[in-house]
This record gives sequence, C-alpha cells and structure tokens, in this order.
Amino acid sequence: MKEKKYLVGIIAGGSFLVAAVTAQEQTPSHLQELLELGMHPGHAYVDEGRELFNTMKGPNGKTCASCHGEDGSKNLEGAYARMPRYYTDIGKVADLDLRILSCMTQYMGFDPKDKKFRKEFDKWSGKYRVPLATFVASLSNGMEINVQIDDPQEEEMYKKGEKLWFMRVGARDFSCGICHSVLAGKRIRLQGLPDPVKAKVYTHWPAYRFGNDRMWTMEDRVRSCFRAYFLFEKKWNEKSDWVKKPPPYSDWVIALELYMKHAANGGVIEVPGLLR
Amino acid sequence: MKKTVIYGASFTAFILIACQPTAQKAAVSEKKEEEKKIQVKKEKKKNLAERFKIALANQDKWQKACSNPDQIVPKGIDVETFRKEMMATVKFPEGGVIGKDIKRGEKLFGDPDKGGRSRRGNCYACHCGDPRILACGNIGPSLRGYAKRGIDPKDTYIRIYNSWAIVPCSVMPRLGYHGVLTPEEIADIVAYMHDPESPLNK
Ligand code: HEC
Ligand code: HEC
Ligand code: HEC
Repeated sequence: MKEKKYLVGIIAGGSFLVAAVTAQEQTPSHLQELLELGMHPGHAYVDEGRELFNTMKGPNGKTCASCHGEDGSKNLEGAYARMPRYYTDIGKVADLDLRILSCMTQYMGFDPKDKKFRKEFDKWSGKYRVPLATFVASLSNGMEINVQIDDPQEEEMYKKGEKLWFMRVGARDFSCGICHSVLAGKRIRLQGLPDPVKAKVYTHWPAYRFGNDRMWTMEDRVRSCFRAYFLFEKKWNEKSDWVKKPPPYSDWVIALELYMKHAANGGVIEVPGLLR
Repeated sequence: MKKTVIYGASFTAFILIACQPTAQKAAVSEKKEEEKKIQVKKEKKKNLAERFKIALANQDKWQKACSNPDQIVPKGIDVETFRKEMMATVKFPEGGVIGKDIKRGEKLFGDPDKGGRSRRGNCYACHCGDPRILACGNIGPSLRGYAKRGIDPKDTYIRIYNSWAIVPCSVMPRLGYHGVLTPEEIADIVAYMHDPESPLNK
C-alpha cells in the first residue's frame, strides 16, 4: 500500500517537473504537437459559434446574421481587433462579451432579466457567450490589434484600467502588476507568470486552457485572476466575506481589458489560443 | 458542544409536548427562515458591484503608497517610518512566538498530503522548502534548511505577520495584519520552520 502511494508520488512528481520546464514557453511543446496535428480543441467552439451566429433566432426572429451578414461577412471582420471600444448605440465602452450580450438583448428580443437566458449566456459552460465570442474573435485572425483611445469615455476607461493594473489591494496585497509586471518570468508554484502588457498575450485570447478543459474569454481570465486577491467587504473571512470576482461585463473588467489590449496594438491575432 | 446537546434535547421535548398548530407554526417560521436566507443570497448577488466597489475602497494607505508602476515605496515616503508603522501593527500570541502544534503549522505552510497546498498560508506559491514538494514557486528565496540559519524565531514571526515591517511593498502578503492567519496559527508555522526535525530542515 505504502509502496503504491510512493510510486504515484514519483509519477506525479515527474509530470510536475515536465510542467515546470514548459511553464515559461508561450505554447508548451506537447500543445504545439497537438496544434501541428490539427487537433485544437478550441476549434469546436468556433464551429459552434458560427452555427449559432447564422441560425440561432432571437424571440423576435432575428439572427446575428440578419444584421451582420452570413458568417459575419458584412461588417464583423476585423471588428475584434478594435475592441474594446465605445459604441453610441449602447452608450458605453464594451468588450466582446458585453457587445454580444447587448446585441442579443437590444436587437434580438432576449430579456436581460430572464434568468434562464442569463444562465445560458453568463455561465462558462452556457450555450451562447463563449462560442459566439470565440467565433467573432476568429473573424479577425491574421489582423493586427488596433485599439484606439479617442473617445473621452475610452480615455477615462483606459486610465481606470492603468490605475487598477497597479492597485495593491485585498488581504493579499496583490495587484495585476505585481504578478504580471514585477514578477514576470518567475514561477508562482509551477505556473510561469506571463507579462500580458509587454508580451501582447491578447493576440491569443479567447484561449482554450487544457488545465480545466475549457475555452476562456478575457472576461473569464481577468475575473478569475481577482480570486487571488482575497478581496473583502468588512474584514477578511474566507467563508462569509470574500468578494471573489468583479461582476461580469463591469467597467473594472473592461477597463483592464482596454489597458492590456491597447498595449498589444500591432500584435497579430491568432485565436483561439491554446494554453496549458 | 454540550450546550447544543442540551438545546437539542429541550427542543425535541418541546416538539413532543407541543400540539399540532405549534408544529405548523414552527414549519412556517422555518419556511420564513429559508426565504430570508434566499433573500440574503439575492442581495449578495445583486450588490456584487457594490461589494466590489467597497472591497477596492478598503485599500489601506500603505497599499496605496505601493500602487505605482515599480510597486515600491515611492519618493517622498520615508522607508524607515513605513517599517515602523508596520511594526506597530504586529500582535504577538500569548503563548510566545513558537507555537505548540507543529503539525498544524506544517499544514498551514503547505499540506504535504495535498501536494503542498494550503489556501490561507500558501507559502509554496512563492517559496520552495520541503524537498518532497516539487510544485513550489521561485518568487521568494527557498526556505530549505531554514532553522540552520540562526534566525531569531521572533523575526520569522514578524516576517509572516507583516512582511512589510521588513520589506515595505513586498509581494509577500501581510497575512497576520489582514487576519488571514491568526497569531496562534503563525506561531505554529514558526514552530514548524524552526523545528530541527521538520522536513524543511532535514
Ligand atoms: C438588429 C441588428 C443586430 C443584430 C440581430 C445583432 N447585432 Fe451586433 N450590432 C448591431 C449594431 C447596430 C451594432 C453597433 C455597430 C456600431 O456602433 O459600430 C452591432 C455591433 C456588434 C459588434 C461590434 C462590431 C464592431 O464593429 O465593433 C459585434 C461583435 C456584434 N455586434 C456581434 C453580434 C452577434 C454575435 C450577434 C448575434 C448574437 C449580433 N451582433 C446581433 C446590430 C445587430
Ligand atoms: C497572484 C498572481 C496573479 C495576480 C495578482 C494576477 N494574475 Fe493574472 N495570471 C496569474 C497566473 C499564474 C497566470 C497564468 C495561468 C496559466 O498558466 O494559465 C495568469 C494569467 C493571466 C493572463 C493570461 C496570460 C497569457 O499567457 O495569456 C492575463 C491576461 C492575466 N493573468 C491578467 C491579469 C489581470 C488583469 C490581473 C489583475 C486583475 C491579474 N492577472 C492578476 C497570476 C496572477
Ligand atoms: C506571493 C509570494 C509570497 C508568499 C505567498 C509568501 N512569501 Fe515569503 N517571501 C516572499 C518574497 C518575495 C520574499 C523576499 C523578501 C521580500 O521581498 O519580502 C520572502 C521572504 C520570506 C522569508 C525570509 C527569507 C529569508 O531568506 O530571509 C521568510 C521566512 C518567508 N518569506 C516565509 C514565508 C512563509 C512562512 C509564507 C507562508 C505563510 C510565505 N513566506 C509566503 C514572497 C512570498
């Protein structure tokens, strides 16, 4: 019995070491191999998103394609390269996720307060958000990121993002910047810390993560990174007072996205990305 | 524990003695309780934006000082004063800085049964130590053989309670200061780190 445990330990230890070696690279080699074999699990999301885009009818009978053309051919090619940006029709700066949500509620008749709809939209494993976002993002493949900050709202959002990036807060005194700018290249446990600002990582988002077998949009990524902060409302208490994440589609998230994506200007989009 | 038993017993007695309508009343109030709980849950959700805003506003003045692109003490703030102010926050446990529960200290440092994980202490995120734990970070220095370095356990305690009393703006969280770990828990971690028999030091 004891011996068995030990063996498992060695095996697990072995794979840990392999992971440590590959942590620093952009695309770990075993994932690179999958890519070369044409086995990218993220592509299923693109296909699913395309299907939805062309055929899924809203309560008012419209599809995305009704306004944006079949496969988005009318006006969505290159759109993601310029997002987040200010939209006059909704009066705010939107990222991909919020833009799609707004189109569904404003133009297709979905009720933003309908719980069933929101579950399908908001949830990671839900039907709509992640596949649609992945598909729309893929329409900018091969193009350079080109985020402009010219509207006053965009400017305000950018400043907010920059400030938030460096803001030390929460019961762990963290900031995005301490992990991703100051400690970039170091290892937190076995995970290499990338520098999303200097390394233009935005080119590979949305990304499929092997670690949890899922496609993530940048919304998901940014909100998850806030979990590490141990934010609290009154006094830190893991059970009763842990403010885990900012609300989805909130200015905090979009501001950070704008800050990071602007820094990635010039990078060539290639999505979906593939991460460990 | 004892109190619950007594309370539970008298509650059963109460139910036994009580007649139907009272039981019904109890069911109704239970339902109300349940509804209240759901309401609280809803509030929490509804106000996530509000809660997040408050959470950010909880930033303390030292965190604010460190919130610059270099994440260091900025010009104009005296490092020594910063350290002194941080030092003044350190609370010591009644039983001294070396705790008695070494096993608990090890678990808080990083539970070997869980590959070195521990949500609150989480030392392996940044440090290596016990050679059996391979999933360890290189953000802070390795703590292997720590007890052999002749460091005063009191200094170890202070470092864990409020690392900014030593290195202001450090990436190492101020775990005691924020109440993530209690003084007694930190003392147990110190005991684990300074025990010559601990795997950290073997
Ligand atoms: C009734 C018409 C209509 C429908 C249906 C519709 N949209 Fe839109 N969409 C718009 C309008 C209007 C805009 C704003 C364009 C602008 O201001 O540049 C927009 C903008 C967008 C943008 C940003 C484009 C850019 O240039 O930045 C994306 C992405 C998008 N929609 C995706 C979708 C998706 C996905 C669906 C289906 C779920 C959808 N839309 C359904 C009308 C529609
Ligand atoms: C405690 C350290 C820590 C903090 C604080 C932190 N992150 Fe992260 N972040 C990580 C780690 C670790 C990863 C890599 C995860 C992986 O390997 O998949 C990561 C990944 C990312 C990525 C994807 C990088 C890539 O390679 O594509 C982005 C973008 C990101 N974080 C943004 C943020 C933002 C924005 C914040 C502030 C809200 C933040 N992070 C705060 C640790 C942190
Ligand atoms: C987020 C990263 C991080 C975490 C988590 C962390 N530390 Fe540290 N630690 C550091 C860094 C970085 C240093 C180097 C000095 C400094 O910058 O504060 C350090 C220094 C130390 C030192 C001084 C080492 C020496 O050589 O003098 C001790 C002791 C220590 N940490 C103990 C702990 C313990 C115990 C825990 C868990 C309760 C822990 N640390 C968690 C980052 C971390």
